[in-house]
Amino acid sequence: MSLLSLDRASLRYGDILGLSPTSFSLPLGGGITGLLGPNGAGKSSLIQLLCGLLPPSGGEVRVFGEAPYRNPAILGRIGLVPEGDRFPTGLRGDRWLRMMGRLSGLEGQALETALGATLDLVGMTDRAHLPFSAMSKGMRQRIRLAQGLLHGSDLLVLDEPFNGLDPEGRLELMETLRGLAGQGRHILVSSHILGEVAQLTDRILLLLRGRLLAEGSVTEIRALLDRHPVELRVHSEDPRAVARWAVEEAGLAGLRMEAGAVVLSVGSPRAFLPRFQDAVARGAFPFTALSPLDLDLDAVFHYLVQDHA
Amino acid sequence: MKRPSPLATFVAVFQGNLPRLLQLRGWVLAALPLVIVVGGLLVSILLRLNGTPMGAEAPWALFRLGLAPVMVPIMALVAAPAGIREDLEQRVLPFLLVRPIPVWVLPLARGAGWFLWGGVWLGLAALGLGGLGLPVLMPFLALLLAYWAELAFLSLLGLVFRRGTLWGVLALFLWDPLVRFLPGRLQWFTFIHHLEALAGPPSSGQVRGLLEQAPMTTSILASALVLLVFGGICWALAGWKLQVTSIGLSGGEGEG
Repeated sequence: MSLLSLDRASLRYGDILGLSPTSFSLPLGGGITGLLGPNGAGKSSLIQLLCGLLPPSGGEVRVFGEAPYRNPAILGRIGLVPEGDRFPTGLRGDRWLRMMGRLSGLEGQALETALGATLDLVGMTDRAHLPFSAMSKGMRQRIRLAQGLLHGSDLLVLDEPFNGLDPEGRLELMETLRGLAGQGRHILVSSHILGEVAQLTDRILLLLRGRLLAEGSVTEIRALLDRHPVELRVHSEDPRAVARWAVEEAGLAGLRMEAGAVVLSVGSPRAFLPRFQDAVARGAFPFTALSPLDLDLDAVFHYLVQDHA
Repeated sequence: MKRPSPLATFVAVFQGNLPRLLQLRGWVLAALPLVIVVGGLLVSILLRLNGTPMGAEAPWALFRLGLAPVMVPIMALVAAPAGIREDLEQRVLPFLLVRPIPVWVLPLARGAGWFLWGGVWLGLAALGLGGLGLPVLMPFLALLLAYWAELAFLSLLGLVFRRGTLWGVLALFLWDPLVRFLPGRLQWFTFIHHLEALAGPPSSGQVRGLLEQAPMTTSILASALVLLVFGGICWALAGWKLQVTSIGLSGGEGEG
C-alpha cells in the first residue's frame, strides 16, 4: 500500500481544468514531500483531492489505499492546513481547537492531553487562550497547524504554509515540520517559492498549468533534463589554462570566462567529473574550487517551465 | 479514534460556536424584538402621564404590525448568514469538512445557537408585551415557531443560492405580505398566517392591516405543526444540500 496514489485523476471546476489527468504515487515511510509550482499550477486542486474535499472529475485518488472523499476512515488520518489567513471570528484559539479535536473523535482527558502536547509543539501554550482577532498572523498559522496535528494525523498537508510569515516564523515552522517528519509523519508541503521547499526536502512533485511535470529528487529530475547541460564554475588562478584543457575534452557543450573562474557547460557531469579530477591530480591547471551552478531546485524548475512553455 | 456520532458532532459544533453569539450581530439580534417592546412601554408611560391610558388594542398592534411581520423576519435575516453561511464566507468550512463527521449535521448545529439566542430575546419581548396586557404564552410560542421556520428557511436559501439573503428578503417581505392580501388558501403558504393563527385570531376590535382579507381559520395545532415541520424540513434539506455538495478550499463548489 502506498501513502497516496493518483491514477489518471483529474479535477474540473465547470469548464476550467484544475488538474489534468495525473498519475503518480508516493510510498509510505514518512518524511517531507514538496509540492512545487507557480500560482495556478494545480497545487491546491491536488491538495483538495488528496484531503477528500473534492472528488476527482475523472480517474482515481487513493490515500492509505482508499478513496478519501467523504471517507471518515481516511479523513481521520489526514490533517489539512489550508492556505490563507482564515479563521473563525469571535472564537478563542483553544476553544476552536477543542471543537476540532472533538470533531476528530477525541474527548475527555485524551483531548486535553493531545491539546496540551500539540500547543507545546507549535509553541502556543501560553497564547492559545487569545481570540483569533487578537493574534498575529504567525500565531494564527500556528493554531491552524495545531488543528492539523491535534488528532495525531498520519498525513499532514500544508498549502502554502509560509505565506505571510516573517523570516523568523518561517524558520520556526520549518524546524517544526522537520521535527514532525523525524517522528515518522508524512508531510506534504505546497509552495510556489522554490527556496522554501529546497530548504525542507529534496523530494518534490512539480506542477505546471494543471499538469504534473516531474517527480523525484532534484538530482533525479535534473538528470532527466538532458537538453540542458550542467554548468560548473571552476575557480582557478589561471582560468584560461582550465579553458584550454576543457576544450580538448569530449562532452563540453560550451564555456564562458569570468573573473577568476571559468564556467563549463557539460552534457554529462558523471562522465566529465572523473576526467576533471584526473586533470587536477596531474596538475594540468591551477585549481581552487568547483561549484555546480544549476543543480539546485530553482534551476530545475526554470528548465522544466522553459521546456513546457 | 472513533468517528463522532451525529449527536456528538452536533454538540461539539453547537458548544464550540456559542461565543460567536456574543459578537455585534448577536446584540443586534437581541435588540430587534426589544425595540418594539421598549417603544411600546415608553408610549404607554407617556400616555399614562397624559391621563389617557393605552387602549387594549395597542399591545396587539405592536405584536401584529411590528413584532410578528417585521422584527421576526429581520431577526431571521440577521441570524441566518451567521450560521453555516458564515463558515462558507470566512472559508473555515473546509476545516470541518476534512473531519470524519456526518456533514449533514452542520447546518442545524450552526443554526441552533442562533435559534436559542433569538428565542431568549423573543421570550423577553413576549414578557414585555405581557406587561402591556397581551397574553404571554401563545404569542411567544407563535413568535418562536415562526422564527424557527424562517431561520431554517433562510439558512437553506443561503446554501442553495449565492445571494440567499436577497431571496430571503423577497420571500419574507414580498411574498408574505402580498399573499396575505389575496383571498383563499394561498394565505396558508405564508409564515405570518400561521404565526397569527397561533397567537390567536384578531377580534373585531383588534387592529388589522389595510386591504387585508378575512383570514382563513387554521387550528393552533395545525399551524404549530406546519411551522415546526416546515423548519425541520428546511434544516434537513440544508443538511442534504451540504452533504451532496463538494466544497473546496475557496468555499466554492467543485464539480467533482
